[in-house]
Amino acid sequence: MVVEDPRSIVKRWLEAESLLVVGKSVERADSIEKALGRARFVEDFFEEGYLVARLVLAKVPHARLRAIDYSRALGVPGVARVLTYRDVPGENQVGYAIPDQPLLAEGKVRYCGEPVAIVVGRNPDAVNEAVELVELDIEPLPALLDPLEAMERRDVLVHDSLGSNIAFRTRVRKGDVEEGFSKADVLVENTYRTHHQEHAYLEPEAALAIPDLENRITVLATIQYPHLGQRIVSRVLGTPASYVKIVAPYIGGGFGGKDDEGPLVAARAALAAYHLRKPVFLYYTREDSIQTHPKREAAVIRYKSGASRDGKLTAIEVTIIHDTGAYANRGPFILWRATMHSSGPYYVPNAKVDGYCVYTNKVPQGSFRGFGNPPIHFAVESQMDRLAEKLGMDPVEFRLANMLRPGSETLTGQVLESSVGVHEALRRLAAASSWRTKRQEYERSRTGRFRRGIGAAVAWHGNSTSRGVPDWSNAYIHVARDGSVSVYTGIVEMGQGSPSSSHRQLVAEILGCPADKIRVVFGTTDAPDSGATHASRGTSVGAIGIVVAAGRIRSRLESFLSEYYNVERERIRMSGGQVVVDGEVRMSWEELVALAYTKGVDLSATGYFFLPKGAFNDDVGQGFAYPAFSFIAVIAEVEVDTCTGGVRVLEVHPALAIGRVINPEAVKTQVEGAVLQGIGYALMERLVFSPEGRIVNDNLTDYVIPTSHEVPVIRDPIFVEDLWEFGPFGAKGVGEMAFIPMPAAVANALSHALGARITELPLTPERVYSVIKQISGG
Amino acid sequence: MYYKLPRIEYYRPKTLEEAVRLLEEVEGSKVIAGGTDLLVDMKTSRAKARALVDVNSIAELRGVEDLGEVVRIGAATKLQELLESPIISENLPLLRAAVESMASWQIRNMATIGGNLCNASPAADTAPPLLAYEAELVIAGRGGLRTVPITKFFTGYRRTALSPTEVLKDIIVRKSEWTGWGYIKLGRRGGFTLSVVAVAALARVRDGVIEDVRIALNSVAPTPVRAYRTEEALRGREVSRDLLEKVARTVVDEISPIDDVRSTAWYRREMSYRLALDALTEALGVK
Ligand SMILES: Cc1cc2nc3c(=O)[nH]c(=O)nc-3n(C[C@H](O)[C@H](O)[C@H](O)COP(=O)(O)OP(=O)(O)OC[C@H]3O[C@@H](n4cnc5c(N)ncnc54)[C@H](O)[C@@H]3O)c2cc1C
Repeated sequence: MVVEDPRSIVKRWLEAESLLVVGKSVERADSIEKALGRARFVEDFFEEGYLVARLVLAKVPHARLRAIDYSRALGVPGVARVLTYRDVPGENQVGYAIPDQPLLAEGKVRYCGEPVAIVVGRNPDAVNEAVELVELDIEPLPALLDPLEAMERRDVLVHDSLGSNIAFRTRVRKGDVEEGFSKADVLVENTYRTHHQEHAYLEPEAALAIPDLENRITVLATIQYPHLGQRIVSRVLGTPASYVKIVAPYIGGGFGGKDDEGPLVAARAALAAYHLRKPVFLYYTREDSIQTHPKREAAVIRYKSGASRDGKLTAIEVTIIHDTGAYANRGPFILWRATMHSSGPYYVPNAKVDGYCVYTNKVPQGSFRGFGNPPIHFAVESQMDRLAEKLGMDPVEFRLANMLRPGSETLTGQVLESSVGVHEALRRLAAASSWRTKRQEYERSRTGRFRRGIGAAVAWHGNSTSRGVPDWSNAYIHVARDGSVSVYTGIVEMGQGSPSSSHRQLVAEILGCPADKIRVVFGTTDAPDSGATHASRGTSVGAIGIVVAAGRIRSRLESFLSEYYNVERERIRMSGGQVVVDGEVRMSWEELVALAYTKGVDLSATGYFFLPKGAFNDDVGQGFAYPAFSFIAVIAEVEVDTCTGGVRVLEVHPALAIGRVINPEAVKTQVEGAVLQGIGYALMERLVFSPEGRIVNDNLTDYVIPTSHEVPVIRDPIFVEDLWEFGPFGAKGVGEMAFIPMPAAVANALSHALGARITELPLTPERVYSVIKQISGG
Repeated sequence: MYYKLPRIEYYRPKTLEEAVRLLEEVEGSKVIAGGTDLLVDMKTSRAKARALVDVNSIAELRGVEDLGEVVRIGAATKLQELLESPIISENLPLLRAAVESMASWQIRNMATIGGNLCNASPAADTAPPLLAYEAELVIAGRGGLRTVPITKFFTGYRRTALSPTEVLKDIIVRKSEWTGWGYIKLGRRGGFTLSVVAVAALARVRDGVIEDVRIALNSVAPTPVRAYRTEEALRGREVSRDLLEKVARTVVDEISPIDDVRSTAWYRREMSYRLALDALTEALGVK
């Protein structure tokens, strides 16, 4: 009997034993290409003779836009056209969560850096010159830069029609917080502040739009979700989605930034190509990129928590304020995620949480590795340390006493039956890192100029979209007559090594064919909609479709072989390019495929999988939040120079509970990258805004990110394989995980070294030094 | 692809005379050495030039020479060559330490010492050690050569004593019996970074007495600066921790730092003291 049912297929491979390819550190398929510089990125497809385009950005934070005069720009030789909102044939509306954002400014400009027009020309020199000559006739309006102020103001509105600067609210009401606090023996209350972060991907945004004879358009873009780009381009152009093809070639880093800006850069290039009927290449300079695209959430978090003498959390009360900037973008989703994770991976009986996503006249807030979770975990994990301190408990012991386990209820009242390995992860981590010994040792030597500290932080991160928001996976697999296999997925390759490598592993395992026969065609709308490459889902949710499609073909082949040899299926093994019956090699993979072609076996399959979800009550923030959670615990060791305030992270120990580890080496690289990016965010990265709200350090000289000098010793991760029932072979997501606890872990280690806590990021030498002066009475 | 150089004329003279003549005759021309400052500035329109006169092929502008009394460094010598030069390690360890803190291997293989000085950034890293060594700069122009002490070379924010038609030829450092030195640079990250503050210190101590001492800083004023009054307060005194801690404070009165994207004036003042203390501790060999 052929098994086609997605759930049964996923279950079969979840339970599969003796895996040959999955779980192995397989070398990346794209490593040679990238090392030799042969891998092609969007700009590499540019050909002489294509038109080039650049954005005109607003230079004021808030103004009515009365007119745009580009007559002088058109006078520059070589300039072909200047496009504004008037040229949008479809809808000038690209808001993801709330319809508040135009593709090109219309009626108003709301932040310095907002795209107002597109200049298209025959060469960059002409375009650069013309960009400066586009004049905006504006009526300046007062600008709101502080979210706390913006929340209160009604006289100045970023979006006039909304009547308030609060774009979106969230809430959780669980149990009775008053009662919870009354039962507490210790209370801790603090305000935490976190800041924006620039993605600083190596490759700034770019798109090449190529119209064809039949008015269809192909756009190569730096984009994390080709099918979303297709929807946005079709909306802006007013053409059917089927007339729009999006391709993401190799992408030079995304981290979420190209999830937000990718569809917009594609739509802007497409708009120009639509009007000019020629290929148009749109490229953001580094400065344009930093000024325009959304940034990591800047948050103000007020956090009160209580615990009883026996080390149990009794209640939390939290207010989260996100500065979403000029447009909501994905701000509401980010706030939602932060809110529903605001307890940390702990059981809290009573909770009251309120979230506000607030408009200001600054660059929008957007998706960035961790998606709302790093700031809230900075708050939660700082609180946990303070509570432990007040209770006189070891911070790890205190965490373990409150940690979620299988059967526990989360902040939203969701009961997690399985796949909750975080308790074991932290326990093993504490042992492996000599936590106790080092903690005591560093405490004893808290004198002298250089002081060391060790800190722990734990994080959880829901897999898939929030609540009941539909999420699915899909893929298409086709086996050619020669036994080679084409795998089509919308998941993109932006440096993480999936889909190019991990998807290949999955297919090789399931079909039992040689890995080098498999080609993964990724990042294209020619593949079925596999969802976005964000939310750590590329090799988790994003690859379930691969398992289903490959599983279908495998089942058909097994069925065929069972009839062909007249044996039960259990006696047939397909692996490593061979068919083995009762321990005897019968034919090669190639022979099997050739035979199957002559016997009417369908060797093409799609793999649609729709994730089952549950109900959620938004009024009280209770119910089904996520189908599964990934978990991580890290222990960080730092050294602080008390004379300069400089902090160095010396060593990081990670432990992950992320279900099945498909490729340990690939997971390690994700952990290393996220650790370093987290260190950058915690210690040095800082956007500087002028009094007008303009980003001053819009280049990589003035905006510093870590280099190899900042790389600490990063220990091999400890894995707790707490399989997730729907994940490919039980895999959960990992891409974002190590970032989330890093700011908290560094801050906790620093507090341990100094004996004083800093509640505002980043922990720059200036800030640390001024705290040191305060405590030393200087 | 938008970071494109505007159309320019390009000259690569073989002799200094030819270079000077080109600078005189070609309108809007500018010297280019490694281009690690200039090309970045031209691509982002911070600097403008119609023509570039490349000095890399002028043999007499390259290399390090031990001339007995003095060390001569050609202005177009690459930073990496300085790092690898035994003459520099032996005679100018303070300069070596500063160069070691600069940029990356790739950049150091392009960037020149002359470019670093002529660019006249307040953060230039070769400036503090050369100020401390009181280097002499040999400048070639229409009328031949002239010599300017480095202490008179920086005339204002990114301005120098060079006229647009002059070329920096040599950096001459007189050898001297320094007993200790220290270069301490504080950046926003561990390496590959411009300084928030850097301090160079050079000292000659005999029998526990400070015979001579030089202190120079960058990133704390419109130009790299010497801290003369602090030096004065140390000269002739007996080396001690107490003295240092007291006297190092006076550097703060000799600087005029500002708030910028890299740091604040307050922190720069605090760190000027701290780094001066640390650099002097090393230079004076204080226990
Ligand atoms: C990534 C990066 C990192 C860097 N890190 C550092 C650092 O850590 N510390 C630091 O101090 N600097 C740093 N720099 C700046 C730069 O590399 C140095 O200032 C370098 O020494 C400049 O030398 P150059 O030969 O490249 O100069 P160029 O760019 O060729 O020239 C700079 C200026 O000097 C003039 N000029 C050059 N040579 C002569 C000459 N012989 N006579 C007259 N005029 C001349 C040019 O006309 C131009 O105005 C960095 C730069 C980059 C791009």
